[in-house]
Amino acid sequence: MSKVYFSTWKGELINNIGKPEEEWEESAYNLPAQYDDHRDSKAFIGWDGVALFAEDVDVIRLAMEYAAQYQEYSEACGRCAPGRWGGRILYDQLDKIARGEGAVADLDHLKEIGKSMQVTSKCEIGKTVPNPIIDLMVHFEDTFMDCIENQKESKHYKESIGYIAKITSPCSDACPADVDIPGYIEGVRDLRFDDSLEATRQTMPLAHVCGRVCPHPCEDACRRTNLDEPISIMALKRLGADWETDHGFDFFHPMEPKPKNGKKVAVIGAGPAGLTAAYYLAADGVEVDVYEALPVLGGEVTVGVPEYRMPWDKYLQDIECVRDMGVNFIVNHNVSADEMREFETSYDATMIASGTRISKAVRCANERPEIQGYWGAIDFLDWVNLYEKFDIKTPESVQNQQMLPTDHVDLTGKTVACVGGGFTSMDVVRCAIRAGAKRVVMIYRRDEKTIIRNTTYEEYHEAVEEGVEFIFHSAVNEIIDEDNVLKALVIDKFELVPDPDGGRAQLVKIEGASETIDFDYLIPAVSQSADLGFLPEEWELEMTSWATIKTNGKDYMTSRKGIFASGDCEYGPMTIVNAVGQARRGASVMSRYIHTGEITLTDEEIMEDHLKKLKVYDKKEKVTGWLPGIPREHSSVLDTAFRKTNNAEVNLGFTQEQAMSEADRCMRCYYIAMVQA
Amino acid sequence: MSKIVNFKIDGKDVKAQKGETILQVARANDIYIPTMCYISKTTPCASCRMCVVEAEGVDGFVLSCNTPPTEGIEITTNNVELEQERVNIMKLYDVNHPLECGVCDKSGECDLQNKTLEFNVGQQNFSAKDQARKIENWGMINYDPALCIMCEKCTHVCNEVIGDDAIDVKFGGYGSTIIPKNAETLDCTFCGECIAVCPVGALISSDFKYTANAWELSRVPSTCAHCSAGCSLEYETKHIGDRSSQAESIYRVKNNFEFTSLCGAGRFGFDFANVAKSDASAFNSAVDALQNAKAIRFSSIITNEEAHILQLLKEKLGVKLFNEDARLYGEFMSAYASVSGKLHHSGSLDAIKQADAIIILGSRVATDNPGVRYAMTTASRHNGAKIVYAHPIEDALMQNIVTQFMKYEAGAEEGVMALLANTLLANADLSEAEKKYFDDLDLGYLEAESNVGADELATITRTFARTQKRVFVIGSDVFAHANAANIAKLAAMIEKYTDFSLVVIPENVNTAGVSLVCDLDADDSSEAIGYNAAGTFVIGSLEGADLAVPALNQQEGTVVSIDNRVLPLNVALSFEGYTLNDIANALGVVKENTVDYTKELNTASGFKSVAFDDLENFLDKYGNDVRGYLLDEVSCEATATLDEVSDLPEFNGVVIYHSNPVLQFNNYTNSVEQLEKDTTLRGSAQFSAAARVSDGEEIEITFGKQTVKRVFKLDEELKGTVALNPTFDISVDASEYKFLKSKIVRAI
Repeated sequence: MSKVYFSTWKGELINNIGKPEEEWEESAYNLPAQYDDHRDSKAFIGWDGVALFAEDVDVIRLAMEYAAQYQEYSEACGRCAPGRWGGRILYDQLDKIARGEGAVADLDHLKEIGKSMQVTSKCEIGKTVPNPIIDLMVHFEDTFMDCIENQKESKHYKESIGYIAKITSPCSDACPADVDIPGYIEGVRDLRFDDSLEATRQTMPLAHVCGRVCPHPCEDACRRTNLDEPISIMALKRLGADWETDHGFDFFHPMEPKPKNGKKVAVIGAGPAGLTAAYYLAADGVEVDVYEALPVLGGEVTVGVPEYRMPWDKYLQDIECVRDMGVNFIVNHNVSADEMREFETSYDATMIASGTRISKAVRCANERPEIQGYWGAIDFLDWVNLYEKFDIKTPESVQNQQMLPTDHVDLTGKTVACVGGGFTSMDVVRCAIRAGAKRVVMIYRRDEKTIIRNTTYEEYHEAVEEGVEFIFHSAVNEIIDEDNVLKALVIDKFELVPDPDGGRAQLVKIEGASETIDFDYLIPAVSQSADLGFLPEEWELEMTSWATIKTNGKDYMTSRKGIFASGDCEYGPMTIVNAVGQARRGASVMSRYIHTGEITLTDEEIMEDHLKKLKVYDKKEKVTGWLPGIPREHSSVLDTAFRKTNNAEVNLGFTQEQAMSEADRCMRCYYIAMVQA
Repeated sequence: MSKIVNFKIDGKDVKAQKGETILQVARANDIYIPTMCYISKTTPCASCRMCVVEAEGVDGFVLSCNTPPTEGIEITTNNVELEQERVNIMKLYDVNHPLECGVCDKSGECDLQNKTLEFNVGQQNFSAKDQARKIENWGMINYDPALCIMCEKCTHVCNEVIGDDAIDVKFGGYGSTIIPKNAETLDCTFCGECIAVCPVGALISSDFKYTANAWELSRVPSTCAHCSAGCSLEYETKHIGDRSSQAESIYRVKNNFEFTSLCGAGRFGFDFANVAKSDASAFNSAVDALQNAKAIRFSSIITNEEAHILQLLKEKLGVKLFNEDARLYGEFMSAYASVSGKLHHSGSLDAIKQADAIIILGSRVATDNPGVRYAMTTASRHNGAKIVYAHPIEDALMQNIVTQFMKYEAGAEEGVMALLANTLLANADLSEAEKKYFDDLDLGYLEAESNVGADELATITRTFARTQKRVFVIGSDVFAHANAANIAKLAAMIEKYTDFSLVVIPENVNTAGVSLVCDLDADDSSEAIGYNAAGTFVIGSLEGADLAVPALNQQEGTVVSIDNRVLPLNVALSFEGYTLNDIANALGVVKENTVDYTKELNTASGFKSVAFDDLENFLDKYGNDVRGYLLDEVSCEATATLDEVSDLPEFNGVVIYHSNPVLQFNNYTNSVEQLEKDTTLRGSAQFSAAARVSDGEEIEITFGKQTVKRVFKLDEELKGTVALNPTFDISVDASEYKFLKSKIVRAI
């Protein structure tokens, strides 16, 4: 809800003109009435209407400036005849009226050109720019006519007024990293894969990774869904990255790195968040040292995500791209509290991106880490991946504790239970299959639908195909051991009992249904927590209730000046793309902080936050101008019998034909939003 | 498993193959949908929006160029509303378009003019502030942004078909413009395809600029005379009013850009006609010389009919015929035939375009045969083809096409072929003897000496696993290899036992034709009459010949292209002197016209008995190539066995490689005005150090029996120890392997 003077946003017509302020009807939408801490907005104008927050707005100038933004922001457009000329004509005609030289016929021309743009433009930006302009012309006709008939300037024509605009799209808005999705898809469609990759890397350096293992929240906000099925957005991202790698090109960076400016930043952790922060800081001319505790770079995507899902040679390309920007990596280095103290003087700022690397307990009876066969998911995946990707052998202490017959994770003939339901647990069970286990069972509290929602359809079905058993509505009650060797699990069964009051259904244990099943291993993969022992105690960093580092979620500075945090150690275990988005924002804030000591957001970032609140995607919108019923492409995967015995990449990616067909389905839903502040 | 979609366009039942768009189906069914930016050979530019159509039950207009139809949908291509929007789009295109049709090169063949008239745009109610825009001079190409309608055809062909990827759209709404990509000025191979596809006068040839109006030019359809790709083109000629020395001249070359492409040599290198006058005494001397000759040495830059006459002269006069280029090609193909059981290779440029897996060996193809390069670019972009480029020297031009550069040591082609055959035939149904042959290969030795590792071969197996349309391309490097025959046999094995089709790139425009027409003798360097080649008496179409004969753009005749297609050449400019046929007539080999021999070409080689005048020379409106005819396949005995792979030769010390700069092929391209003639020896920093020559230094290179003077140019894009020595300005012995140990000394 926001307080408005006038609004046509999404078809609501709120007209408080002439009413006393206390009687103003409110808008149903989260419009950016307050621009930032110290500025109110006067107006908001965008693809689906216009809202005025004050009486004093020069609506002709507002319309003209919006048309001007279309010209200004044409790096995204100017690529079709109606948009290219139409946009200019809109602006010229509005300016003519605003400066007091307009004619009545100009209004007709504006409407005519507006209509042509609405029905024939290449992308939504061209189709929607006329919308609020025509709204203003209709609802403020008197104001326009006054300027035309009296040949006078619009009321604030010559004043300096701040107009702040941002290009967005439903998918980019839903992407935590604000990736220019229509941009990279256009690169695929035009077979300009370098452009595609650069579009991605503007805000997301991990194109190989997020072209493969991103849970793609964007696809839930794809406007194509309103027509038929969402675009396969994620899979199209790897086309650019694969192109660069396959042809052995130097890295396509979307920006020239700025000359070194003498500032230094330390980054703790070389996972997705650390890599991202390092990339954009280095691009900005900052010297960056990244400290990584493990002997290898890449964080959980390296030691957590298995080879068959994220081949190391591909991820290495992403990492090398970051290094190529001029980032310095220090591996095998566990940062201590003393070092953190010292970093405060030796660096201009520090970004903590240490992730969440402690597997949480399943909370059952007799759950004791010393039981052999009880094996935390993070540690389990570490040893699997270090061996598969780097040939690093599992140390004898772990071999002994986990009863391994050899120097790597070999589960031949063993039975494995995993408790989880998220991506990590899927990685565990599928790795266990590949390690030769004879029976692998996922124990999950909720149902199939939920596990698919929490992971992906493909991930779940591929696991089933590979032979993983799923026991739904169940939980481990007790571990049964003999002399500290795991022997069996007591598993409780639950049923979902609907709340008679219409609330959330409750899981209720079915008494007497529990069973005891023999297992050699229990691998808890319920969640992870952050290991933050390296933080100096006297800093007393503020923590969240989940024991992660607290920031305001906008600038990513912790309660201590100059110490920033992003990724899982800030948010709790979440997605790669979330870590990337946070780290990029944090890096942007840091790049100003190290010069000014101030914490600020750019207009682009402020607008990004406003639009996320407003939500760009509208699942109820009726899409016109596109033929429905063109099916989404699916990439083929390796044959089950073949893939379950090795670590070859399961998803083969799109063929070129599939990629082009899929890219052609993209409707280029760019929009411009603008605030008068 | 192609899925057919049935739907209706304007009430007519039509069918679409998988991947076809509404516009493509409309065109295939002769239903007109206007476009300004569509070009058949690229992905849709989708910028003009003229091709919007209505779909039954769908709100708004649907873009037909990039939308595949859905089952049962009913499409309307025209009605009042669509017409209105198309008119408005034309009005927008016309906003501030300079009213200078009177002096614009494009006038008369301009899409903007045509469509403005078609949509009857007589007045304009839209206006915008005009902007001052500067004409860019990019060497052979000029760009006028004021005329540009930003259709993006040029950027699409440059990237998707040519592969230069040298121009880009600079986005800027109304100020959008075309710019050189990542460069101050245009840095490309100057194919001029951007000029060809430009629908307006924005991209033009700086040579042609202001010289003629489109409607004044006569068009002569022919085949390009510079390489074996057999590109179709039209010479555009005009009678000259103010240049009294010549009655007519070629003003420019155009191509059917909608479906085919042309390189810069074909487009800009058109002025190689022989302007010498008729000389009766020279003619008599030529007849005398031939009567007393023991041999005729000739080049492959002649027609099949000329070759046929030479063959008849051989039979009549008992002379030997020397043409090492065609002889070696012919021997290569004979060896191929001895295993494959047929005369002609199976692949074609079209097969390359449609491929998703290509291996090319023994060719610096971007310069050897631009047509092959463009076909590979198309395959790379449109099919995501995996392309293995096996050659001793990396080519920066090919980086955005090639997915695997396989560097082998100069001279190692036979070994590399054996390794490739062993890899590709791993699962083939070979005979016991053939199996044993491959089992007995000393892979370790071959890998070590050729420098092609087992991992590289494994990479091919891995990356080709998903591919379905595969082509093996062999270049002209191998023809003069000591073990060319075994290379040919190994290639034939691959073609025979796998789903690879095979393309062999003939060196010159009619190398293939000559090899099929003539019975050639090994050149023993003895005295011979030269026919378009060096000799004691030279009959030729280049300046300085003892008797002038017409060049390939001055005569009718046919050539055989890389596709094994017999293609007609036509008379763009008349020639006033004598022809080989006149000489033959004087020597008792009698026919009225040279092209009377067209239907008599050797059917045992696959030629058809078709008269020249019955040969078509155009592409139909759907882009089907109906030029000339394809050679008939000829079966032969396949009795040969593979030879043992010889020890691989070593090329130590200073090595040069005979390779021309882009757009240069031979003395003809060397004689034309517009093409750059860079005769420098180009080498890497490593070469510079090894040969002790520095950038800009004048040197003398001695190879074989020849010594040439060159200036050395350090080329940052080159690597390794082999330098590139052009041959277009000198004649080199075609029987010499293209990699040569040589001596380089500073010129004094």
